[in-house]
Amino acid sequence: MTALRVADLTALASVLQQSGGRIDYIAGGTDLIIERQGSPWANLIVDISQTVGLDRIEADAGFLRIGAGVTIARLIEDPLIGQTAPMLARAAAQFGSAQIRNRATLGGNIAGAMPAADLLPVLKCHAVKVEIQRRSGVREVLDFDAVVLGRGQTCLGNGDLILAVHLPLAEATGRISAFVKLGPRQAVTIACLNLAALADYGMASNRLRDIRIVAGALAPVPLRMDAVEAALRDRPVNQALVEDFLHALGQAVDSAIPGRASQPLQTAGHPWPRP
Amino acid sequence: MAAPSHPQPGSVRTASGREVRLAVNGRDHVLRLDGSERLSAVLRRELRLTGVKEGCLEGECGACTVLIDDLPVNACLMLAFQAEGRRITTVEGLAGPGGALSSLQQAFVDNGAVQCGYCTPGMVMAAQGLLLRNPAPDEAEIRDALAGNLCRCTGFQGIVAAVKAEAAS
Ligand SMILES: Cc1cc2nc3c(=O)[nH]c(=O)nc-3n(C[C@H](O)[C@H](O)[C@H](O)COP(=O)(O)OP(=O)(O)OC[C@H]3O[C@@H](n4cnc5c(N)ncnc54)[C@H](O)[C@@H]3O)c2cc1C
Ligand code: FES
Ligand code: FES
Repeated sequence: MTALRVADLTALASVLQQSGGRIDYIAGGTDLIIERQGSPWANLIVDISQTVGLDRIEADAGFLRIGAGVTIARLIEDPLIGQTAPMLARAAAQFGSAQIRNRATLGGNIAGAMPAADLLPVLKCHAVKVEIQRRSGVREVLDFDAVVLGRGQTCLGNGDLILAVHLPLAEATGRISAFVKLGPRQAVTIACLNLAALADYGMASNRLRDIRIVAGALAPVPLRMDAVEAALRDRPVNQALVEDFLHALGQAVDSAIPGRASQPLQTAGHPWPRP
Repeated sequence: MAAPSHPQPGSVRTASGREVRLAVNGRDHVLRLDGSERLSAVLRRELRLTGVKEGCLEGECGACTVLIDDLPVNACLMLAFQAEGRRITTVEGLAGPGGALSSLQQAFVDNGAVQCGYCTPGMVMAAQGLLLRNPAPDEAEIRDALAGNLCRCTGFQGIVAAVKAEAAS
């Protein structure tokens, strides 16, 4: 077995040129090391947790480019994220424990493609694109939905690397947003349901427009909640709206997971057992 | 205690029996390791730093908490070679000359934060990581920082009290 730490993407390219076999990229290791208790490591382990070029958060033309190697802890603290995508910072703040947040990465959360992964509904809600470098060196920028395909399934082949996420600025700036995570306990919990919501709120009209609501952990991949959005769209924000919202949400959850009572939604914090 | 120098070549090769250089508690160690070895196992077996406990090996209990460049992490969820070029601190690195307890460790003793002691090194390191970043945390911040550390004995009150006392001092 060989274990390499690549300093930058040029170093990675030369490693890829010399190796034909299976590769295990390891970033934070918070998923992979547990997974490898039950399956053998690849002959080549490549540490990307200190790779320059994966660790940046920067404004680009029309989007925020967030490197795949950015840790959950940095998502909470970064001022650019706080300004443009506070929902991502909030989801990060509820992620695992301090120890996990200091290691786990954005790229690892996407590559793992687990239904309860907290960042995925937020990324889909923001309509991000994912920048990928194929093992051949070819770079692609794909829609989120073309990358996360199913439970643990992505468009990534062995040796393909997620470089960054592109978060569109026009659809984020000036919007209101919310992230809610329900789990079996308060801290360090796996979500039974998480919700990401982004909307344009008109203060004068007291109405919501351009609403996007995405649920995580309800289905193999994050689910856009069209019916729930419709219940909120372009109506005065008041108690009746809140009740209709909860009703629509309950129905959406029931139809996504048939046989589960939606009642826990009203008693937030005591959700149903996991599917 | 010379600071380790870490040139950054394009890639650093380690393989079975190859060298891994770790800077732990201010000292440099050169070890022969398999690439897939966990940091927690290496610290315990090779360096006899048995203050690093292994409990769940799944990131749930926090008993293996160490600081990497002053940030608390689970040493069970990091491969040892990933820690090359970084500064590792274990609970053994907190004590002063002659093994004198640090003031945070003393606060754990004084506040009844220790019963069986299995969780204690991890708790102390998680608290140390918090206090290095935030010298005056409130109770919510303390509880959040310790949420990844389980204690089966004490019910947490004494532990939170110890960290509060250290923060106030
Ligand atoms: C105690 C505990 C609590 C947790 N809590 C949460 C939580 O609250 N919410 C949540 O969503 N998840 C949680 N997780 C799961 C895990 O921490 C996340 O999925 C994390 O984002 C994984 O990132 P990583 O860098 O550790 O990935 P790694 O373990 O390093 O890698 C995971 C997989 O992704 C691949 N990979 C990593 N980076 C890339 C990349 N850039 N390109 C291509 N492939 C890549 C690896 O090859 C590997 O197959 C928790 C895990 C533990 C152990
Ligand atoms: S042994 Fe590492 S978290 Fe439990
Ligand atoms: S003192 Fe026994 S587990 Fe905490």
